[in-house]
Amino acid sequence: MAEQKTVTFVIERQDGPDQKPYTQEFDVPYNPALNVVAALMEIQKNPVTRDGKRVAPVVWECNCLEKVCGACMMVINGKAQQACCALVAQLKQPVHLAPARTFPVIRDLLIDRTVMFESLKRIHGWINVDGSWKVHEAPRQNPYTAQTAYEISHCMTCGCCLEACPNVGPQSDFIGPAPVVQAYLFNINPMGNYDAPTRLNALMEKGGITSCGNSQNCVQACPKNIKLTTYLAQLNRDVNMQALRNIFDN
Amino acid sequence: MYNVTFYLRRLHSLCGLVCLGGFLLEHILTNARVLISPASFNSAVDLLASIPPQIMIPLELGLVATPFLFHAIYGAYIGWQAKNNPQNYSYINNIQFWLQRMTAWYLLVFLAWHVFYLRFLVKGGGTHISFQLLQSYFQNPVYWVLYLIGMWAAIFHFCNGITTFCMTWGIAKGPRIQKVINAGSMALCALLCLLSLAFMAIYLV
Repeated sequence: MAEQKTVTFVIERQDGPDQKPYTQEFDVPYNPALNVVAALMEIQKNPVTRDGKRVAPVVWECNCLEKVCGACMMVINGKAQQACCALVAQLKQPVHLAPARTFPVIRDLLIDRTVMFESLKRIHGWINVDGSWKVHEAPRQNPYTAQTAYEISHCMTCGCCLEACPNVGPQSDFIGPAPVVQAYLFNINPMGNYDAPTRLNALMEKGGITSCGNSQNCVQACPKNIKLTTYLAQLNRDVNMQALRNIFDN
Repeated sequence: MYNVTFYLRRLHSLCGLVCLGGFLLEHILTNARVLISPASFNSAVDLLASIPPQIMIPLELGLVATPFLFHAIYGAYIGWQAKNNPQNYSYINNIQFWLQRMTAWYLLVFLAWHVFYLRFLVKGGGTHISFQLLQSYFQNPVYWVLYLIGMWAAIFHFCNGITTFCMTWGIAKGPRIQKVINAGSMALCALLCLLSLAFMAIYLV
């Protein structure tokens, strides 16, 4: 029998939030359909490093396995992407895995993305439907903006754009491209539009859209191909108009 | 509440393009007159020097020094907050983003030296600026090279600033127009770099 081909994974590990990172190498049996999540599952079954040491299994997060949930985002060969759709056959070997250090690391490749959900709260990322008023029939959607809304609604808060953005990270208070662009999704909704000034004012705050430095990495990194830079430019336009209104209306 | 950051960032963008960009263009065009003749350059310098100091000093302070200091100090604060990553994400726009910051750090040091020496020590000391003075100054090849890099850094920073200005102000929204504006400003960058190389070369011959 021919010898089983293997792939080497160099994984940046960390035992806890405040622990020092270290790397370990693992060999995984290769097959043409192998993706990074499947390889991590192999390592979990038999967590033995290349030099034969039995170690604690590598911790990571995944859920849908079809690029919809965003949970398995990690830095693969230097680039933030979804591990479930990263085919090993298309990756340079050895494959380097690291946690997205833009976010706080919990353990190994597992990160804490709470900050993104906090940012969605900050930008008023929802539509007010309930109130003391009568709820009528829902207003009609403009079919053209509905297409844009559908595109932006694909965002799965995976955090690829935040990891790729040079202006997001522990050193800065920028909330990042994904939460900013979500404001546009709710602004173009016929009902959500009522709260557009609230969202635009939120984007004007410290760490909002003004912290964007136009590196345009976000649009390249987005696994859902959302035209982030286009909507960022549109929001820049809207925010500037809102600023003029704030100055001259009061 | 008052979104101070927002207005500071917009002011940073605006004064960079208008005040500093305008001053840079004036600087390049005046210096390019050595290509016509050293006498033409000297007469341009004399014309600027003939503006009475009661007018010139407030203009320099208000339209050049203040915007420069604000753009430099606030810009350093912005640049400090970036974790540059062109080695992992080597897209053209990200390299431009990185170059924008690298040229800024160089210019911070270069302009401090340039302004302190030529404006304060030499011109402020009463010496008349002329082609002959600069020619003897640039006999030192290190100065010449550092000045050329400084010029190119300023030109790139300004031209790339045109592109990012159009994005920041929501002027260029879609990818096509952003690409067109970027190509246009990089062409302007190449043109001005060649022009500055040409007039700097005059000092060598």
